[in-house]
Amino acid sequence: MRMNWSEKYLKKMRNEVKERNEDANIAISVKDLYKSFKLPTEKSWGLKQAIFNRLRGIKGYKKQEVLKGISFDIKKGEFLGIVGRNGSGKSTLLKILSEIYLPDKGSVKVNGTLVPFIELGVGFNPELTGRENVYLNGALLGFSNKEMDEMYDEIVRFAELDQFMDQKLKNYSSGMQVRLAFSIAIRARGDILVLDEVLAVGDAAFQEKCNDYFKSLHGNQTVVLVTHSMENVERFCDRAILIEDGKIACDGKPAKVTKEYMKLWD
Amino acid sequence: MSFSLFGKKNRILLKELVKTDFKLRYQGSVLGYMWAVIKPLLMFAILYVVFAKVLRFGDAIPHYPVYLLTGTVLWNFFTECTQQGIHSIEQRGELLRKISFPKYIVVVSATSTAVINVLINLCVVIVFTLINGVMPSLSWLMILPLLLELYIFALGISLLLSSINIKYRDVGNIWDVLMQAMFYAVPIIYPLSMVTETSMLVGKIMMLNPVAQIIQDVRENLITPATITGWELSGPVWGLISVGAVAIVFVVSVLFFKKRSKYFAEEL
Repeated sequence: MRMNWSEKYLKKMRNEVKERNEDANIAISVKDLYKSFKLPTEKSWGLKQAIFNRLRGIKGYKKQEVLKGISFDIKKGEFLGIVGRNGSGKSTLLKILSEIYLPDKGSVKVNGTLVPFIELGVGFNPELTGRENVYLNGALLGFSNKEMDEMYDEIVRFAELDQFMDQKLKNYSSGMQVRLAFSIAIRARGDILVLDEVLAVGDAAFQEKCNDYFKSLHGNQTVVLVTHSMENVERFCDRAILIEDGKIACDGKPAKVTKEYMKLWD
Repeated sequence: MSFSLFGKKNRILLKELVKTDFKLRYQGSVLGYMWAVIKPLLMFAILYVVFAKVLRFGDAIPHYPVYLLTGTVLWNFFTECTQQGIHSIEQRGELLRKISFPKYIVVVSATSTAVINVLINLCVVIVFTLINGVMPSLSWLMILPLLLELYIFALGISLLLSSINIKYRDVGNIWDVLMQAMFYAVPIIYPLSMVTETSMLVGKIMMLNPVAQIIQDVRENLITPATITGWELSGPVWGLISVGAVAIVFVVSVLFFKKRSKYFAEEL
């Protein structure tokens, strides 16, 4: 029997609301992601070689598939760890999430603002003062001066560098530089924080402080963390993903994933 | 990712990068920003001694020193803009591989120091023009749209070549040599009349170069109507060809850059 239009309409509305509620709880949705790189083989650089290669019918590059169909969702407030061997595709995945690379196939849907830290202190310039570097770094991450004004005091306090902010960065010790960069990373007010292997910074006291901070994030902030430290995965993450050879080999509780990770070397 | 120059985030980022570039450029030098004025003046002094005093190129032209100065200032602007622009993407590679933002901002910010410099230098040119006894006139206002045209041309070339330069680093070197050749193909140090006296056709072909056309137009409007412009020499049709060339180069470059810029992070 045919539904009349009002029933149909109601059903459609209900479905839409249901979908929207599901969407609202999801921070990042990754569907069927593929990515390959053209790696130049020896000496394909330069105009001359390019023309030679074209004439001889040599491609000049090798195609390397890095991600081969990755799908997962990250819920809001979830602390997700991504683990895997060197070269398994973790960083590539992170760069696609951060819109630095374009995927070959598949989609990434990000709900909210995403603040990526593929590396700490990107754009830091040794000739600028600590203060200027904070604002430059902020602008690169997409924050306005006003937003940075609001975050600035907290960043400086967390880095414990109050009296050094008007000195040039080149006069900082390397530990101080990293502390400043790291403080920007964790104080940046984004809905989603993406961190690539950046936890081990500063001295023991600063480490302690960072650990406490990460624990306090639980449930309040969506974080995606790439790391090789299984200790950190078990300590901070709600969930972990093991990537092996461009595919998800294991997805679930941190304890289970770290066990799988260890098995890779058995 | 949007390509809009007027997005708030993009404007803030552009401002920060320009500020940083300008701050760092003259750091560690005693005279600092003064170099933005002193350097072109010294370059001009050399050309003046060689071409006006020794070779006597400008005897037929009224106010030849300002004439020469205007030409060198505009030419320096064009070379500085393109040379900074072409290498900008490769120089900011570190940044582009770590953070996602509209790539054209890198090129625009790299060329902006040249823009600031040319504006400062034009003030110097105007002071010299007045000292030389040229009366101010409304036609001076034409300098601004002409300068804009020159910038659009330089920016177009920068966008196009900077995206090619990532893969083929030869482009930067080729451009440097090309600029050296072009310096002599544009009537900067010698008056255009020296060419047209021997061959009208060569003069006309030279004026198809937008840079040459713009320099002559600025001289005509700023210094003396006795300047031979492209429009007078070859008529409006030839004149429009070089204006059209600027528009075409710019549009093609923007489209090409937009298409390629998605892959900059991987190719760098």
